[in-house]
Amino acid sequence: MSYLEDDLKLALQRAEPSGDFTERVLARLNAPPRKRAWWEELAVLFQPPRVQWVALTVVASVVIPIAGIQYHKEQRLRAQGEMAKQELVFAMRMAGSKLHKVQQKVLGMSQTENRL
Amino acid sequence: MKILCSLTLFTMMAAAAFGQGLDLKHLDRLAAKANDTADVTLDGSLLKLAAKFLSASDPDEAKIKKLVSGLKGIYVKSFEFEKEGEYAESDVAAIRSQLKSPGWSRIVGVHSKKDGENAEIYIKTGGADGGLAIICTNPTELTIVSILGKIDLDELSDLGGNLGVPKLDLEKSPDKSDKSQPPKKKEDE
Repeated sequence: MSYLEDDLKLALQRAEPSGDFTERVLARLNAPPRKRAWWEELAVLFQPPRVQWVALTVVASVVIPIAGIQYHKEQRLRAQGEMAKQELVFAMRMAGSKLHKVQQKVLGMSQTENRL
Repeated sequence: MKILCSLTLFTMMAAAAFGQGLDLKHLDRLAAKANDTADVTLDGSLLKLAAKFLSASDPDEAKIKKLVSGLKGIYVKSFEFEKEGEYAESDVAAIRSQLKSPGWSRIVGVHSKKDGENAEIYIKTGGADGGLAIICTNPTELTIVSILGKIDLDELSDLGGNLGVPKLDLEKSPDKSDKSQPPKKKEDE
């Protein structure tokens, strides 16, 4: 036998575990999981697999354009509303002024008649 | 079949005309001749949208908001011309003829020979289906106002009292500012 074979035989020979091996394994299994710190939780995001990043990108690519369109719509609605308000105020005051003018004329006529 | 189609079309047109109040389209051609033109068409959702933007804290806007709550549409066409004779009497007659339809009644008609001013007020009773029409003319101006819905004439006139015209009812607050000036058109008072 060569020295190499002897070395291998020595290295691979069966060795019995220590007596408390089973207890230690069971104790480790039953131990509550260690609570990870917040930075460790955050670090998970940066670790492979990067599914989270892909998901985040997909969500962002959907949410950001929708939010942009919604914002644009609201801006347009606001501008439309302001314009309509100006027109409404103008129309109501125009109607009011004409009505008031007629009332003044009628009142003026009745006062003249009363004086006569 | 043709008769049925014609009848349906007529019914639809009549319904549309009823919903929009007066037909003022024939006046559009006057815009080319006028120095100043005001054309306001507010109905349905646009009127509601405009009302939403009226501030409840501003006293004048609050008044308008209250007035508008019962309205279905507001239409204003006003033309100011440089010289006389730019509009024809038939333009006004076409509107008067529409106001001869059932429901409408003329409550005031003022004619001034001195300056050629005419003013007519028509109302249509019927609550939410009611309305108000004002025709004001003078040789160089033509103004038509048509309001559909429930309108309080006193409150509307009160708005007009803000435009530099002294108010008759002195018991009410005199804190009227001149921001009531319309944005597009100068008043002739």
